[in-house]
Amino acid sequence: MSGFAAVLRKDLRLELRSGESTLALLALSMLVLVVLVFALGAARVRSVDAAAGALWVAMVFAGMLGANRALLAERDNGAIRGLLLSPLDPSTLYAAKLCAAFIFMAVAEVGAVILMVLFFNLDFDASMARLAPILVLGAIGFSALATLLSAITGRTRGGDMLLPILVVPIFVPALIAGVKASAAALSGAPFESMGDWLKIMIAFDVLFVTAGYLLFEHVVGGD
Amino acid sequence: MNNPTIRNWLGFSTLALMLVSLFMVFDYVPPDAEMGIAQLIFYFHVPLAWVAFASFGLVAIAGIFYLWLGDQLWDDLGYAAAETGMVFCTLVIVTGSIWAKPIWGTWWTWDSRLTMTFILWLMYGGYLMLRASADDTPQVARFGAVIGIVAAMDVPIVIVSVRMWRTIHPAVLVTKQGTHGLEDPRMVWTLLVSLTAFTLLWAWFLMLRFTQLRTRSRMAWLAGRIALATAVASDPK
Repeated sequence: MSGFAAVLRKDLRLELRSGESTLALLALSMLVLVVLVFALGAARVRSVDAAAGALWVAMVFAGMLGANRALLAERDNGAIRGLLLSPLDPSTLYAAKLCAAFIFMAVAEVGAVILMVLFFNLDFDASMARLAPILVLGAIGFSALATLLSAITGRTRGGDMLLPILVVPIFVPALIAGVKASAAALSGAPFESMGDWLKIMIAFDVLFVTAGYLLFEHVVGGD
Repeated sequence: MNNPTIRNWLGFSTLALMLVSLFMVFDYVPPDAEMGIAQLIFYFHVPLAWVAFASFGLVAIAGIFYLWLGDQLWDDLGYAAAETGMVFCTLVIVTGSIWAKPIWGTWWTWDSRLTMTFILWLMYGGYLMLRASADDTPQVARFGAVIGIVAAMDVPIVIVSVRMWRTIHPAVLVTKQGTHGLEDPRMVWTLLVSLTAFTLLWAWFLMLRFTQLRTRSRMAWLAGRIALATAVASDPK
């Protein structure tokens, strides 16, 4: 547990001092939302469905950028080798990296939600609170998947391009559920109507956090 | 698995059964009363889908065994299955589109089964792109195994989510009433023969590709040994 805390603290301190990841994630989320407002046209901009979709597009792209950066700092100076040589279990390393990625993504999401409300002419009301659990579940699933796969793509040629190609198809079920549940939350539908979508997201999160925890050692180990 | 005699027999029996299945589809089986001749593609579409999904299952099983045992054989099997599965999965989508144009009036629609097949196609496309962008090291073999396992784990959730999303695909084999929709026994026979024919074709393709990959792994291993021997022989000490 102390190893977990040490790695997580290191990542958070690095981020607090430089702010690189969070700023880049926020900037990218904003740009994606701006592009989508232009792409969808002013007429569709009042629609809740369009807003929910735009939010998730921003989230996926920002998350991808965050995941690409997650292990970059470790690779630059061969620090990953040091981490693996330490008595730290690779699974613990994965858990710490997953937490860090989740926190960066959550910060970017808060920014993206505020921008979405402004750009898509929605209101800051109770629906924001209903959106929160959906976004948290989405961010956990995405970070779990992307942290595992970025450890793979980071060590192949053209890895930055491969990451979205691998992550997006696997993330599809959580994406479908997330967009549907978010649209329901924003339109003020009763909480029960989102229940099945939330179940899918929870199943996705449990599955991929477990998979990452068990498989990470095969991805980073052995070299 | 590497026996050329078995391989040739498999090839010839595939050819023979494929001809029988063609005859049955175009001459023996009565076409569907409502859909007419377009329905005949069903006898190719369903066997193709079966072997495509079987391949992707095999990728995951081979991945588990590779991570467990670390034998290169499992990686070669998984890689061969992914490539073969990709070919058949592409054909599933193509035959489905050809059928959908006259029946649904569109080449493509975001129905649940179509979406699921397309997502599978994308996942294994990613797998093959990863393999293509890297050399065949044990590291990349482990990456392939991990992606194969993760993708297969995702399939049940994909199925549930796209089904909740929307569906219009005809349920032929198990209808909503719990029976199958093939009213004529000749239809059942034709489907069974073409299922067997395509399964043999798949096994044959898989075997050919697997043998090639085994040979390649063995050559890489030999090249390593030769390099080692040369280095030892030229060492003055």
